Amino acid sequence: MTKEITFKVFRYKQGDPAPHYDRFTVPCDENTTVLIAMQDIRRDQDPTLMLRHSCHHASCGTCGMRINGKEELSCVVKVLDLGTPTVTVEPLENLPLISDLVVDMTGFYQRYTAARMPYIRQSEFNPGAEPPEGIDRYTRYENCIECGLCLSACPVAGSDAEYLGPAAMAAAWRAVEEPRNGDGKHALNWVDNEHGCWRCHIAFECSEVCPSNVDPAAGIMNLRRKLTGSSLLRLFGIKR
Amino acid sequence: MQDVQSTQDTVRPKRPLLAWFDVRSRKLGSWAFALNRLTGLGLVLYLFLHLVILSLLLRGEAGWDAFIKLARSPLFLLMDAVLIFGIIYHGLNGIRVGMVGLGYGVRAQRGLFWTLMVIGAALLVASIWLVFTI
Amino acid sequence: MQNATANQRENGAAGGLWLLQVISGALLIAVLGLHMFAHHFVVEGGLRNYQDVLAYVASPLIVAVELVFLIVVTLHAILGLRAILFDLGLSAKAEKTVNIVLTVIGVGAAGYGIFLALALHALAR
Repeated sequence: MTKEITFKVFRYKQGDPAPHYDRFTVPCDENTTVLIAMQDIRRDQDPTLMLRHSCHHASCGTCGMRINGKEELSCVVKVLDLGTPTVTVEPLENLPLISDLVVDMTGFYQRYTAARMPYIRQSEFNPGAEPPEGIDRYTRYENCIECGLCLSACPVAGSDAEYLGPAAMAAAWRAVEEPRNGDGKHALNWVDNEHGCWRCHIAFECSEVCPSNVDPAAGIMNLRRKLTGSSLLRLFGIKR
Repeated sequence: MQDVQSTQDTVRPKRPLLAWFDVRSRKLGSWAFALNRLTGLGLVLYLFLHLVILSLLLRGEAGWDAFIKLARSPLFLLMDAVLIFGIIYHGLNGIRVGMVGLGYGVRAQRGLFWTLMVIGAALLVASIWLVFTI
Repeated sequence: MQNATANQRENGAAGGLWLLQVISGALLIAVLGLHMFAHHFVVEGGLRNYQDVLAYVASPLIVAVELVFLIVVTLHAILGLRAILFDLGLSAKAEKTVNIVLTVIGVGAAGYGIFLALALHALAR
């Protein structure tokens, strides 16, 4: 079953006085994702529509957008499931706009790197699994796909441009939780300031929109507990 | 001082009021946060107002007792109800913010919120009944 | 990218002040609850008239409880305002100014409240 869906798409090109919205009508069936619809528009109606994508299966974290006001990976959102006759598509918030649906992720990645999180972690799933011969055990990588949805959804990132943000602090908590090459002190120190973990006001939007169940909010709370614990101990003269 | 790049966007400058209070398509946590902020601001305003009004006491009996008469008018009692709502909400959500912020009950924060709100609703009804009957 | 953190932000008082906000909030639940009962809910008509107020504040214990309430509530209010202003992503200089201005307002308000309580107490005796 195919349905004609109107897309209200955020448009902006460098040098434009202001952003605006363009409307496109795209025939969608039950398998059409928002990303596919955007690619259809680009192919058939407006080749100047800019967007980022790669894998089409929620692994690469490049196609994050705001769909009807909510942060999503556009590759796994089916248009007809949204149930709205018009679908609004906008770029992520809280990162500088480059063009149309594309934002500059540099600030996001830079924070993430600064947290110095080890990308390989202890595999906690399926401990009984028997790895193939020649491999000691399975290697597990971090869940965070660095899509930036959390930063876009965060109300504090919406007002403080220097806020470290959910993903970076979740990474910092990982560095504390499983330090591997360090002792995690760097990460704790890094988040302990006015634009770090104390700025969070537990709106939990980061964890709500995270497509990988990283639960950044819990990471930030754990950082706080750790820092409060050690500052209370210091208060009583105990150093840890 | 700056160790991270700013996320400021020249095309879409930060709009704090929208970021904090536009809860369309947002979830429970954002509503709780926005309402906490609103009630907090209201209570700060009230605190200063309260101090100013109390200074009437220094001006003697006539001024204060005239104020009391005014304060017992239905409009004032209605405003009292709004004030009490603010106190109860901010206080009870504050328990959640404090607990979760210290790392306790993070995963149970939704249940915690609604449990506190049920307690709050009961307290609110009882308080408003007191305000209008006492 | 390791040197991205070379010039680490100053840690400052962020964590301590956040904890103070939680602790003062917890105290407020107790003290404000007491205040509401003692001042309004157990009083005929919800508010004391002039004579009754004076009789009430004649007790040093009442004045002491009120002073604790005043200081804790002012602290909580000022820290709350600070958090909201800091959420705006201020420059280091603006942050310093906010700290100073809010300290002045807080000390001023608490100071005025203390004066008021003590003046009424004196009036009552």
